[in-house]
Amino acid sequence: MGKGERTKTKSQSAREKIKAQQAAQAARDRRRRIVTYTTAGVVAVAAVGLGWWYAASISRSEEATSALAPITVQADGSVVMAKPGVNAPVVDIYEDFQCPACKEAERVSGQTFKNLAAEGKAKVVYHPITIFSQEPTKSNSVRASNAVRCVADGKQWMALHDLLFENQPPESEEGFKVDQLKEWGKEAGVTDPGFDACVTSQKNADAHLAYSKKIGDEQKLTHTPTVKLNGTEIDNQVLFSPSQLRDEITEAAK
Amino acid sequence: MAASQPSPKARTAIPWVTTVARLVLGGVLIAAGALKIGNPADSVVAVKAYQLLPESIAVTVGYALPILEIVVGVLLVVGLLTRVAAVIAGLLMLAFVFGIAWAWAKGLRIDCGCFGGGGQLGAGQEPTYLLDIVRDFGLVLLGAWAARFPPGRFALDGALGLGGDNRDEGEDN
Repeated sequence: MGKGERTKTKSQSAREKIKAQQAAQAARDRRRRIVTYTTAGVVAVAAVGLGWWYAASISRSEEATSALAPITVQADGSVVMAKPGVNAPVVDIYEDFQCPACKEAERVSGQTFKNLAAEGKAKVVYHPITIFSQEPTKSNSVRASNAVRCVADGKQWMALHDLLFENQPPESEEGFKVDQLKEWGKEAGVTDPGFDACVTSQKNADAHLAYSKKIGDEQKLTHTPTVKLNGTEIDNQVLFSPSQLRDEITEAAK
Repeated sequence: MAASQPSPKARTAIPWVTTVARLVLGGVLIAAGALKIGNPADSVVAVKAYQLLPESIAVTVGYALPILEIVVGVLLVVGLLTRVAAVIAGLLMLAFVFGIAWAWAKGLRIDCGCFGGGGQLGAGQEPTYLLDIVRDFGLVLLGAWAARFPPGRFALDGALGLGGDNRDEGEDN
């Protein structure tokens, strides 16, 4: 377009000059538009990227730092994970194997609880409960909870607990089927010969439901996951942010 | 762009309609994003509740969706990159319509998670799929309007001399 500008001769009319100027102006405008749009676009994309990165980073899980602290399955079905002699602070985890938010909490913060217990900075107590009252979620939850109650060894219990959350079925269909539970038990290293029969007969189902009811009333649980630090509920935002969670629990240890 | 010559009356009305469409669509997006952005975990759970996306993608979408809604909403409200923003907003809404219809068709009983929350409904709660779909489809139409007639009045695009009807804007996103 600018070709005309270079080959000006005296015979060229003023009109052509103006035309050339207009063309140059149009080109400048066009460049300005492109620059402005590109800048705005880049800023917008960067803002989205930054926001995504921030959300991902506050939710970043910890890595496993060492072997698990000793795990003890208690008679009432709750499970204690703590180094010997560590009695405080107490972190109580009330969770339902069928609850998606619990799965998310385990995915994001599960390792933090394990690490803190292994570091001797907390006594972590797991309370698997059934919070659902509708089907098929209630039965799914009860079958899964019964299965972990069939495991007496702490390490195997934890392995099965993790597998159950990893393999959580959708809430709309029957899941945690007996055959699957047996399979995951094997995968978790359960060696007890009575495990399969215990899973099939659901012999702990009543005990589990009674415990759920009792603990739900006692602790006034309205939702899962509920995690309490020395008896006070940890805020959801903290629960789902491993670094904040670690800070809050280690602070309580002092 | 104009295929047929609109009447003078329509010519004055159209930019104002675009402005209203931008403000409504942008406002809804900002509200929806703001209610979700502090709780990425909730957002992830809400996305997963649809059982539509594989695990890892659902997590990414859960983290990215709130901020994307806010950024696109702000662009629409201020009228910057109007056409691009309107297209993205319209596609987002279309995706939501699809997602909700999917949940409905599959017989899931979930909260759409449109404005935070989300996930399975408790006993005694009923899904509001039809309402959600009608609302989101209305927003798709607003997005389509704003993409067809950008940038409207009170738009940065206009103030910066970047009228919506040029070909540059599509290239730079």
